[in-house]
Amino acid sequence: MVTYRLRGVAAGLLAVPTAATLAVSVLAVSVLAVSVLAGCGSGSGGSGNGKSIQLWEGYTGAEAKAFSHLVAVYDKAHPGVTVSTLFVNNDNSLQKVLTAVRGGTAPDIAYLYGSWAPNVAQIPQVVNLTGVVSRPGVNWTDFWVGERDVATVNGKVIGIPALVDNLAVVYNKTLFAKAHLQPPGPNWTWPQFVADARALTNPAIKQFGTAYVTPGSEDTVWHWEALLWAAGGQILNASGTKAAFDSPAGLTSLNTLRAMAVTSHSMYLDPTDSAYANLFNSGKIGMLVTGPWDLSAFPAVHYGVQIMPAFPGTSGGHQTISGPDNWVIFNNGASKVKTAEDFLLWLTAPAQVKYFSLATGDLPTRRSVAQASGFQAQMNAALPGVSTFIANLANVRQARPQIPTYPQISQAIGTMVVAVLLNKAQPAAALAQAAAKVNQILAGSGSGG
Amino acid sequence: MTASLVTPGGAGQGAGTAAPAADRPRRGTRRGRAPRSSAGPQSLAGWAFVTPASVIIGLFGAAPIVWSLVISFQQNNLSASTPFVGLHNYRALLHDPAVAQAAGNTLVYTALFVPGTMAVGLFLAVAMNRNLRFMWFYRTAAYATMAISTISEALVFIWLFDPSYGIVNYLFSLVGIPQQQFLNSPSEALYVVVTMTIWGWSGFAVVIYLAALQGIPQDLIEAAAVDGAGRWSTFRKVTLPLLSPASLFLAVWLTINALQLFDEVYLSTQGGPLGATTVLVYYLYQQAFENFNFGYASAIAYLLFLIILVVTAIQFRVGRRFTYYRS
Amino acid sequence: MAGQRSRLPFSPWHLVLIPAAIILLFPFAWLLVTSIETPAEALHFPPILTPHVIRLRNYPDALAAAPFGRFFLNSAIVAVTTVICNLVLCALAGYAFARFRFLGRGVLFVLIMTTLMVPFQVTMIPQFIITKWIGVHLLAAAGIGHIGALIVPNAATAFGVFFLRQFFRTLPIEYEEAARVDGASRLAVLWRIVLPLSAPALATLAALTFLDSWNSFLWPLIAINSTSAMTLPLGLATFQGAHSTEWTLLMAGNVMSLAPMMAIFLVAQRYFVRSVAATGLTGT
Repeated sequence: MVTYRLRGVAAGLLAVPTAATLAVSVLAVSVLAVSVLAGCGSGSGGSGNGKSIQLWEGYTGAEAKAFSHLVAVYDKAHPGVTVSTLFVNNDNSLQKVLTAVRGGTAPDIAYLYGSWAPNVAQIPQVVNLTGVVSRPGVNWTDFWVGERDVATVNGKVIGIPALVDNLAVVYNKTLFAKAHLQPPGPNWTWPQFVADARALTNPAIKQFGTAYVTPGSEDTVWHWEALLWAAGGQILNASGTKAAFDSPAGLTSLNTLRAMAVTSHSMYLDPTDSAYANLFNSGKIGMLVTGPWDLSAFPAVHYGVQIMPAFPGTSGGHQTISGPDNWVIFNNGASKVKTAEDFLLWLTAPAQVKYFSLATGDLPTRRSVAQASGFQAQMNAALPGVSTFIANLANVRQARPQIPTYPQISQAIGTMVVAVLLNKAQPAAALAQAAAKVNQILAGSGSGG
Repeated sequence: MTASLVTPGGAGQGAGTAAPAADRPRRGTRRGRAPRSSAGPQSLAGWAFVTPASVIIGLFGAAPIVWSLVISFQQNNLSASTPFVGLHNYRALLHDPAVAQAAGNTLVYTALFVPGTMAVGLFLAVAMNRNLRFMWFYRTAAYATMAISTISEALVFIWLFDPSYGIVNYLFSLVGIPQQQFLNSPSEALYVVVTMTIWGWSGFAVVIYLAALQGIPQDLIEAAAVDGAGRWSTFRKVTLPLLSPASLFLAVWLTINALQLFDEVYLSTQGGPLGATTVLVYYLYQQAFENFNFGYASAIAYLLFLIILVVTAIQFRVGRRFTYYRS
Repeated sequence: MAGQRSRLPFSPWHLVLIPAAIILLFPFAWLLVTSIETPAEALHFPPILTPHVIRLRNYPDALAAAPFGRFFLNSAIVAVTTVICNLVLCALAGYAFARFRFLGRGVLFVLIMTTLMVPFQVTMIPQFIITKWIGVHLLAAAGIGHIGALIVPNAATAFGVFFLRQFFRTLPIEYEEAARVDGASRLAVLWRIVLPLSAPALATLAALTFLDSWNSFLWPLIAINSTSAMTLPLGLATFQGAHSTEWTLLMAGNVMSLAPMMAIFLVAQRYFVRSVAATGLTGT
């Protein structure tokens, strides 16, 4: 009985269209899809025309507008030349660039973080620009020393500076006033910073004196490196063969952080690198060590900017650290390289640098632009506080080690700093441990061989 | 069709006639798989059916895997030379404490995430598998957790679990539980990630279980009720076994995904604090795209591949004893 | 109670489902609120959930910031085509794995499953090279830079094959056997018997595949080289700079991106409830 009923049902279901219809509809869909696809989407930008180049950048908002304006101006002034741009998030651009390089479809120009430079320099297709930047009229030394250091790997120039920044202290004027504190002056010291942070901390209203990011990434590390340098220390020794931060300066810098994070709990620890800026904008943090890019994220706060404090009795001064980024050219043939070089030299010429800085609030990559009369006032009018950052560029005296193993060194240092901040290790022990790891890495026996 | 035809270990047969009950494979034996020499129309049809999908999956899935295996034997950092270094990368990873930590984190995470998500998903699916008003709303809410972008999910959970400003610590303070450090604590951070991802994946489990629950005929449930079984007993003895294929599928799929966790870690803790949330894929990402060690990253990927393969195989083996197919 | 269809508005299950729905929808609520805030209020921590100023202009602003109409179209083409291909190819393969015995079935299934076990970060470079080769030697529209490159590698997924195989195995085989006895070809059995009975599973697979394709980010990032071929997630990424993100526009974009997915799900829902009982399988 069941079988009979089943067969009846099955027969009923068999009345549905045949397999032939299935095949035909699949075929139709695929033909339709393919024809639509053939029409949509253009090729990979790399045509045979040597005067048409592709550039990958990660500009958003005001930067995107200013940049596309510059590109349009250039295209118009150079008929026959086309610069086509593609937006690629800066954070993801390394994956895309490396894949494209391996796959043989590298862009002509790419915007790459300076911290990648030592490794990017090893890619065979990266063009050596040493000769290009020493051409007359380029004025290579007009670029800040921090930028030039990051664009140069083993004496070879592999990029042209695209961006420069530095770390300074942004503070909440209202909170300082409420706590009856003197706002930071240009000669202030780290002990004063620590004291201010303690005075600004109020657990009852969940207010912190300052903040620090603790994922252990380079963001964690470079903030500390600024303190290390201010304390007169070095990351590596002169020949770059051993760690040199395991020193009194290293101890001083870590103890400073420890005083705030562990002793007085005046430091908000942000493990995700995402909350600290909004907290400052909500008036919950007194001072932040951050860069000019964050200024536009504080519309709700009456803020002031001051250069970094110094450690009394050291040679470090009010030193700060800079994180420049580079335009890198990839070799897709001699004529494309020439077009790319011409474009970059134009883009980074003083006139364009001035235009871009004024339009976006980004720091000027050239000293001549920064020191031109009226420029800093103009910048400050558009973005209050940025002139302090521009002046602070003079406090950038050195760059992080430009060696391929720096990322691994950074991870070891990051672990050290976070361990101290979370009170999982004492500064002296953490320094020793990190130094041993770094020495291991430098000796070539670190992970990954 | 009565419940007695639900034989454990039975499997669908492509035969032209229904095999009498006595000939059904016994529990524990290989499920009715034909001896390997089966050629003929069934083989032809079988290969014809699987070829299109297999070609695509093979080309874009299998070929890259072989490629990566080759790279794992090289010291590959995109410079001109990629010297063959044999097993060096594998030896290095066996001595790398960070790999051990990452592997441990990955396994702990998986062991918590998979049962957690299945339990939450099953509970919600059972609750939603009825004809109440607004049921479309609840189901959509479950699906929304899958549709929402990972960055939004990460930001909300970072906020919820913030030690100073988050809701969870606030609720804790209301009931007298001490304030926790959550993502700032190496011992707690992984559990926060577990919670976040269970939330993110519960919608998936709900959707799968809902589809499976639809396949359970009401007359089986009613028959059990007529036989005098209580609701919980019916659930345990009728519904759950009938859901076992879906459960096996979910367990396998969730495990495979859990062992390859990456996005949530990348968007929240970036592996910290102090490596507490560094899972294997995050560690190999760091090796590949921060340290430029592709060879080493590929070797780690193969370690992970082995782990996943073994765990999945165990799941299928164990699952075979506990899943019931109705044919 | 289990067999009853309750129409009481105060069923006790609501007491469970409402808090559950709140927890499930909470991030979505945050997303929505942020999308109508001004930047001044959006850049707050803890986030402000009751803004004083509402800015609906975020939506048109987001749309105007980049050619989102184009991105939307690209995403739609890729997603719909991927779903259709998956439904067809994975149903064929899943059915074969579930019901046919053929030489090498077990090995092939294991191989297919193993493709799920290696993370994308490692396979993306070889996949890129293979896709490029296809574009150069087989079909230009499927090569790097075209949206075909986003469809072809995902036209059949191990997930789909695995999922449908598991589902097909739960169906009672008697119908298929009856149809075969009636002389139907295997394809006809699949098309006319099995697939109609599998509506919930097919709807589920369609919804999940659509979701996956719509939200896919990393592969399109790698494979697309021109703005006109970008998909929605790539377009939304244009709001995320290296150091600063335009949160209000990004969230507005996210909400608009969610809308089609939710619409697809709402439609697919009606198929979720088509129970086996409705097709007359409750034989004596």
